[in-house]
Amino acid sequence: MTAAGLDSSPRKVSAAGGSAPAAMRLTRLYAASRRIPVALGLLAAVGALLAVALDQHWAIAGGPAAQRVIPLSAEACAAAVIAVSCHGPFGEAERATGRWLPWLQLAAAVALTAAAFGVLAAAGPAGLLPGGAWAVLRNVAGMSGLGLLCASGLGGPFGWVGPAAYLVISEAGLAAGWSTPWLWAGRPPHDLGGAVCAGVACAAGLAAITLTGARGPSRSAGPG
Amino acid sequence: MTAAVTAPARPGLPHAAAAPLTFARLVRIELRRNAVPWVVPVMAALLWFDSYRPSTAVPAFWMLRTFWNMGQGHTIIDTGPLVAGVAAWMGSRDARRGMADLAAAAARPRWTAQLATWAATAAWAVGAYLALTGALFAVYAAQGLRGTPPWWWLATGAVAVAAFSAAGFAVGALFPSRFAAPLAAFGAFLAMGTSSQAGFSATSGWALLLPTNANGNYQVPTGIDYHYLPDLPIARLMFLGGIAVAAVGLLGLRERAGGQRLRAAAAAVTLAGVAATATAVGLATTARQAADGIVIPALHDAASDRPLSYTPSCQRAGDVPVCLNPVFGSLLAGVTAGLRPALAAVAGLPGAPARVTEVAGTYTANEGSSGQAMTISGRPPVLRLPLDAETLPGSFGQTPAEFAGQLQVLFLEAFTGTSSGSGSPAQHAVLAALLQQAGQPFGAQPALLAMAGPGAPGPGPGGAAGPVYAAARRLAALPAATRHAWLAGHLAALRSGAITLGQLP
Repeated sequence: MTAAGLDSSPRKVSAAGGSAPAAMRLTRLYAASRRIPVALGLLAAVGALLAVALDQHWAIAGGPAAQRVIPLSAEACAAAVIAVSCHGPFGEAERATGRWLPWLQLAAAVALTAAAFGVLAAAGPAGLLPGGAWAVLRNVAGMSGLGLLCASGLGGPFGWVGPAAYLVISEAGLAAGWSTPWLWAGRPPHDLGGAVCAGVACAAGLAAITLTGARGPSRSAGPG
Repeated sequence: MTAAVTAPARPGLPHAAAAPLTFARLVRIELRRNAVPWVVPVMAALLWFDSYRPSTAVPAFWMLRTFWNMGQGHTIIDTGPLVAGVAAWMGSRDARRGMADLAAAAARPRWTAQLATWAATAAWAVGAYLALTGALFAVYAAQGLRGTPPWWWLATGAVAVAAFSAAGFAVGALFPSRFAAPLAAFGAFLAMGTSSQAGFSATSGWALLLPTNANGNYQVPTGIDYHYLPDLPIARLMFLGGIAVAAVGLLGLRERAGGQRLRAAAAAVTLAGVAATATAVGLATTARQAADGIVIPALHDAASDRPLSYTPSCQRAGDVPVCLNPVFGSLLAGVTAGLRPALAAVAGLPGAPARVTEVAGTYTANEGSSGQAMTISGRPPVLRLPLDAETLPGSFGQTPAEFAGQLQVLFLEAFTGTSSGSGSPAQHAVLAALLQQAGQPFGAQPALLAMAGPGAPGPGPGGAAGPVYAAARRLAALPAATRHAWLAGHLAALRSGAITLGQLP
């Protein structure tokens, strides 16, 4: 173990701090540390699964709650993938040294949510996708927000718990005929109340992940 | 620095005794370092929201209150996916932390260490499930639920949770990644959703093993008039336990899991799990529908078919004693009051019951049907009332008045011979006239008949009009003595279908 090269690295990074290659490198390293390429692949797989389900008319027998199980599961799964991709492996050291970290966290969350919306909206032609593209945007944004909130509170590895719990609650609420806007998945696609509630959840999640970040798995305390 | 050296060494344990002790220590460490407790509050919230809250909308009988959360398996839907996700996280821990090689070189075989991690995860998960459902049952008990609790279904749920933990752990161990947990959780949820698809519609065959399937195996007579038949729960325990064992055994098949003998043992464990699952599927295909639930001949104990004995509780509706299972004691007054005007309307006529007694309802192939027909038989005639197969007051918002109307319809259908679901126009006209005499206005009868059950065709669609209701109004308008005399002379012919609408007075 030597100190060779340590003296030159800070100067190089500092000098290149504002340049495009450095920004690209930072973005690439950040994406790699969050497994964003894998997350994008999984989002594409979820979208493909939804496309097959819609094309083959897979359906769960029952009322409106049962009929939405597959699309809602796909949307919640996409939100869960986004949530677990936002924690890094470096913990405190990264938070202490990375001044661009909050912006990278925000940008990654927004980009993944947009990608999730894109692949899920493209999964089904108009008429097959319940509620159409607007409903997908609302549901994915809202559930991603819940996932990000969960990642910020419980820890990044458990960010999936929020969308999973919301999925169960949505199904139970739809089965019971609830119409509260907080169960936005059960509202019509252009419903203002549902959109506002989903938007609030999304904004809260993005704010939490930007300001506090996702807690990573601890090696000295906590689970796993 | 030297004190430790001078301390006497403890005598070592024999090798055979040391191995389980080390495993127990590993499990104890894993119990302290487990992630399941972190999601227990979420599981508790989901159980309250999805399993307990909807159940309060039905009357206070064990079988009705637990239909949604035990019969249709919602306690498993609420906990299983979370358990699968966390188990996947625990299963992928060593690889995520880059410790796979280190762990493979440790003194204990890799599979043993993984078994300890899984055992701790399963212990937390099953313990949390039992604690939460135990609390649910305690709340029910405090509410004074009648009947007996579904202990077999509770055991099935616990084993289902263990199966989810094993499957999730295997996913995490075989495909270690930060994404293993959400994929295991949502895969489990989707599996539960699609099993609901089969479970809600399939009434026979292997799909009966799905813990969301209540068809023909979870209906109200059980726990009140019948024992819980353990046949299907035993098959489900084999099925789910087999999945758990096979998933855990699968981890020991990998090259770095341990020595050759250990991997051979893992192969045997995997095969045993697969065999248990396949046996359960085979047993389920032999299942048949019986009056008291699903019977699997190879697992069936005929003693389970004996009805539960009880000393009936009785009240009098006029001169007629009405006797029910004491489990229905809270309904006795309502049943007596509901039947009283209908019994009075037929008093003195041939076939009028001298006694009303509650009998066990019969299981149906689906999730249970309300409005099962009453029967009148014996000498003196006895009205047999399958109360546990009727829609009870409080179920789905049914009012006591609607309950009384349902009893009157079902009784008078049995009396006029229309309870088979068909009946001649003359029989329906007499039924309508007697219902009117019992206090049910003609205008309210079509809705009442539609509500009373599948075997209750209304005298005419689209309201109380048409020739049937015209004849009924004519009959009802007769003086009571004239109507009574005509019915006394023609009831036998009416019941046999020999009377036409035009022959009514």
